[in-house]
Amino acid sequence: MCVAFAGLVRKASLMLLVTMMFLVVAVEHGAAQGTVPPFPSQSGPENTLGDQSDSDIWRAIRQGGGGLPGSSEVTDGVLINADGVWWSQLRRPAGPLVRFGSIGIATVLAAIMVFFVARGRLRIDGGRSGRRVARFSLAQRVVHWVMAVVFLLLGFTGLLLLFGRAFLIPIVGKTAFSIIATASMQAHNLFGPIFIVSLVALFITFLRGNSPSFSDLKWVVRGGGMFGGHVSSGRYNAGEKAWFWTATIAGIALSVSGLVLSFPDVLGTHDLLHRAELLHAIAALVFVGFGIGHIYLGTIGTEGAIDGMISGDVDENWARTHHDLWLDDMKATKGGAADGRD
Amino acid sequence: MGVIELLEGSLWTLSVCIFVVFGLWRIFVILTAGRSPTQARPVGSPRGGAVRAIFGHFLPRRAFLGQGRVWFVTIAGYAFHIGLFALLFFAAPHVAFLRDHILGFDWPALPRWGFIIAAQFAFTGLLALWVRRFVDPVVRLISRPDDHIAAGLTFLVMLTGCMALGEQSVTLRGIHLGFVEAWLIYFPFSSLMHTFTWPLSRGFTGALAGRRGTRM
Ligand code: HEM
Repeated sequence: MCVAFAGLVRKASLMLLVTMMFLVVAVEHGAAQGTVPPFPSQSGPENTLGDQSDSDIWRAIRQGGGGLPGSSEVTDGVLINADGVWWSQLRRPAGPLVRFGSIGIATVLAAIMVFFVARGRLRIDGGRSGRRVARFSLAQRVVHWVMAVVFLLLGFTGLLLLFGRAFLIPIVGKTAFSIIATASMQAHNLFGPIFIVSLVALFITFLRGNSPSFSDLKWVVRGGGMFGGHVSSGRYNAGEKAWFWTATIAGIALSVSGLVLSFPDVLGTHDLLHRAELLHAIAALVFVGFGIGHIYLGTIGTEGAIDGMISGDVDENWARTHHDLWLDDMKATKGGAADGRD
Repeated sequence: MGVIELLEGSLWTLSVCIFVVFGLWRIFVILTAGRSPTQARPVGSPRGGAVRAIFGHFLPRRAFLGQGRVWFVTIAGYAFHIGLFALLFFAAPHVAFLRDHILGFDWPALPRWGFIIAAQFAFTGLLALWVRRFVDPVVRLISRPDDHIAAGLTFLVMLTGCMALGEQSVTLRGIHLGFVEAWLIYFPFSSLMHTFTWPLSRGFTGALAGRRGTRM
């Protein structure tokens, strides 16, 4: 009897609280539209909570108890979306996403520095020969550099948005960061669709030569030539192929999640948006991390590599050092014309 | 006076004056330069040649239709120029700015999504064409520092404009306006003048060819 009564009070107080909240919302809404006059302020009846504490009631609401809708969708009239808690924990300035993300990027930078100190610049065996070999077509070069610029713009603005609150606010302050953040967000949103188009173009122009082959295994086992001397490779080595496929898969993940985040009203539900944002951040960190390695190897890390992406051709000794199977194959199939452009 | 007042006030007036005065002066010089007298008897019509060149060059020449790089330049060129035109004259903030600061009247602006898409076309076209200046050996050879400065300034004007899209920050608007003013000041002295001189140069070479009875 007593237990049943307590249950009744509990239910009644929950219903009362919910009704009051809806009334407040309705009044605010009505007042905003100028249709419903605001209530005169008055104190409510006493002891409306019975033997319940505030926290019990809020907990019950949060857990979907007391006959309240269990779904986490805001559209279902849920008062507290408990499902969003994991996300805000994860995304806090001092939360795991920012912590592990920054550790990851710092590790990549440190590894590159260690590699540079240990190995130095990867030189062309025998020096430059002066003979040129055609490697990339004009279309490949244009697509590659458009993608590179878009990547840099999106990378900078995206990292500012992800890490800014944690790392920039202490340095530049909140006002300056708010300006940096809105600028970054606008640029990021505008360049996103250009990234998708560039990704498709990059995939089409660079697919040939990037399928896995048997020689990749040897290349991986020998650490790309770090152990056991020179290791043969075709048009692209296993490291480059890994970059191509990582960029493709992470790029698709970034594109899909980015589209969901760009059109939250049409494409997103609350939960989906959280998951899309998480996927977006993880894919971006992978892309940027691998991308930093790629930029290092494409510029200061490897002598002569950048030539191919600018003028379209490389030194024959560079080709022999890094892509000997490709050079042989090209010379054989193109009758020694040494034109490896697609 | 604060920086933003300066940018919206005297610096804005100064840059527009330089743009107009030196732009008109340059067109005047071109129009009055004349050309060295030709002794040869005309074989065809210079006027016909000029008109043909001015309008015919909007599309690639038939002989080059099979070349991918010609289509690339055509498509990227149109994407950039039409996109830039649309966002210069039909973006709501620009329409309002032109009304308040120059013209006193306005016209219907593009919806926000239309203006964003125009900006995306303009950015992609400009990036592709600018990158080509570095990676195409022939175009690299004929590109001068002026071409890169012109492309770079235009890119920065567009980039700072898109960063100010939130319309929440005076600072961002000021940065954008500062780049617009630098661009206006640089304009009359640079290859950016082709915005106005393209019919003159096409017409001139077209007329020469027409006179000789050949086609450009
Ligand atoms: C931003 C600076 C970048 C630099 C300096 C750079 C540099 C280079 C260089 C020098 C090469 C030629 C390597 C060779 O001849 O084998 C290359 C190849 C390539 N780059 Fe980049 N790159 C950059 C950004 C990017 C980005 C953002 C992507 C795209 C997702 C990308 C995708 C590729 C691909 C697919 C190749 C062909 C080799 C492969 O399949 O891995 N690059 N890059």
